[in-house]
Amino acid sequence: MGDAQMEEGDNTREIEVAPALIAVDPAQRSVAVAVGSDLRVYDLIGDCPVSLVDDSAKPFHSDSIRAIRYDASGKLFVSAGDDKLVKIWSTDSWFCISSVCCEKRVSAVAVSNDGLFVCFADKFGVVWVVSLKGDAENQALADKKAAPMLAHYCSIITSLEFSPDGRFIVSADRDYKIRVTVVPKNPLDGAHEIQTFCLGHSEYVSCLDFIHSPDYPHGLLISGSGDSTVRLWDVTLGSLLDTCEIGSKFDRRFTFFLKAELSATDGIEEDPCHAVTDLCTCPNGTSVALAVQSLKGIMLLNCNLSAKTLSMAKVVLVEGETLIPTSLGTSLSEGLPWRVTIIS
Amino acid sequence: MIEKETTSTFNKSTGLPRKRFYRARAHSNPLSDSHFPVPLSPSQFDYSLHYPQLVPAASDDDNPKRIQFADIGCGFGGLLVALSTLFPDKLMIGMEIRDKVSEYVKERISALRTTNPGQYQNISVVRTNSMKYIPNYFEKGQLTKMFFLFPDPHFKEKNHRRRVISPHLLDEYAYTLAVGGIIYTITDVEELGEWMKGCLENHPMFEALMEEELENDLVVKLLTSATEEGQKVARNGGQTFQAVYRRIAPPL
Repeated sequence: MGDAQMEEGDNTREIEVAPALIAVDPAQRSVAVAVGSDLRVYDLIGDCPVSLVDDSAKPFHSDSIRAIRYDASGKLFVSAGDDKLVKIWSTDSWFCISSVCCEKRVSAVAVSNDGLFVCFADKFGVVWVVSLKGDAENQALADKKAAPMLAHYCSIITSLEFSPDGRFIVSADRDYKIRVTVVPKNPLDGAHEIQTFCLGHSEYVSCLDFIHSPDYPHGLLISGSGDSTVRLWDVTLGSLLDTCEIGSKFDRRFTFFLKAELSATDGIEEDPCHAVTDLCTCPNGTSVALAVQSLKGIMLLNCNLSAKTLSMAKVVLVEGETLIPTSLGTSLSEGLPWRVTIIS
Repeated sequence: MIEKETTSTFNKSTGLPRKRFYRARAHSNPLSDSHFPVPLSPSQFDYSLHYPQLVPAASDDDNPKRIQFADIGCGFGGLLVALSTLFPDKLMIGMEIRDKVSEYVKERISALRTTNPGQYQNISVVRTNSMKYIPNYFEKGQLTKMFFLFPDPHFKEKNHRRRVISPHLLDEYAYTLAVGGIIYTITDVEELGEWMKGCLENHPMFEALMEEELENDLVVKLLTSATEEGQKVARNGGQTFQAVYRRIAPPL
């Protein structure tokens, strides 16, 4: 699990390239992509790239960006990563309204549904919170100070999500755990009340998202893991509602399209890994798109909110290319998932 | 022919394991991944393996017995052994990260069960890192007592975050303890004693026990007398610092 590496501080750095990330504005005005330390935003309305403006002490990102997201209203955008900076941008002017310094590299970010708090997790498993209250948009602000809100002891947090009803914040880590914590009135004082844990994954949890619809406003939690499963949870009780085994969904028709990993030692092709690397739920409340390791395409699952089940819908392959998606985002109107790929 | 008793790991007369064959350093790096099995969730914890007499394997019980007391960092098991006969109807577990030491406790309990039929069936030990895996063993509000006796002080300030009592970990202990459940801490290191008391005092889900309650609690006396560590401190005439708090419902 790499705990020993964490102790050595920044001396032992992974040589791997940070996966490319994509985020889609819920108001569909723009799409953001992060490749390494480069943040690129495309204006969908004006059909042109956006020029980001950042006149803070440390402008833009100087190292791999590990997490990007828009807030629920689409008015704010957050980017953070290995340069230990969390940058908050206004999506009207694309001006960096705040830069928060973190002691450690940042692995995940989330914005509260009301857009008042930004949470981010550092590599020691501490989730910090910074308040945006009282800030007028498009105004430069003094660099903010974050307060520790909760922690997963010495675990790398891979994903942070607020529940659709705003009651809970969910954090997932590389030690197979998902923690559901009650969002307090003042998050700056700490989120001490744990609602439940969602336990059951047998490998690192890589991604989380809520699926909800107007009929089911509280929604259900969906998690993807290195154990090749996607699981459906009730976050008030921590109960596992359904499990979708990705590995077993592949039959011989699909294995042809899977890029088999060559064994490092003897060059013999091993079974492809079916770890789930990213997922996103489509806002129509019925579909889930998955990025699966070694799958040259995306997998779609159906979620039935009333029956509380998950089932495989189909696999959408990207033919003729050797690209494997690393990050997914959805657009509201067409209900079609966007994807980003890296050259493998 | 007199047998060479000195080479046996068990004392022939008492049947108990001999500590010197289970000597271990006081420290174990809790951050290094020592490969011990961890239950995926509390429902996966094998009760019949640890408490074979009290929780038989094929039981259709709707309301099965559950562990209620946990000794975090149980060392050589002194507290568990003392608590076992004081609360014979409660299931208890010790958690210890050091391999040899947890082995010793396992052997000790096994020997006690053999030499005292019907007794000590309610205690057991598991080798694990309690700072990471407590939620894997216990459901929400399952425990009524949690013990942190003479924990590692981690003197250097940069290591304070490794202390087993810390503001963040208290969230997990509050989750695991039932409302009204009690957390017992004791140390012979004054600074650590103040630290632990401070963490508990500042946590919204714990309140200190009153003097009267402490005097009436049978268990409080065991904090200093029951463990090997506590006995060593008493022998050396050292002072101990305890902080005993009750889990309360969070303020609205």
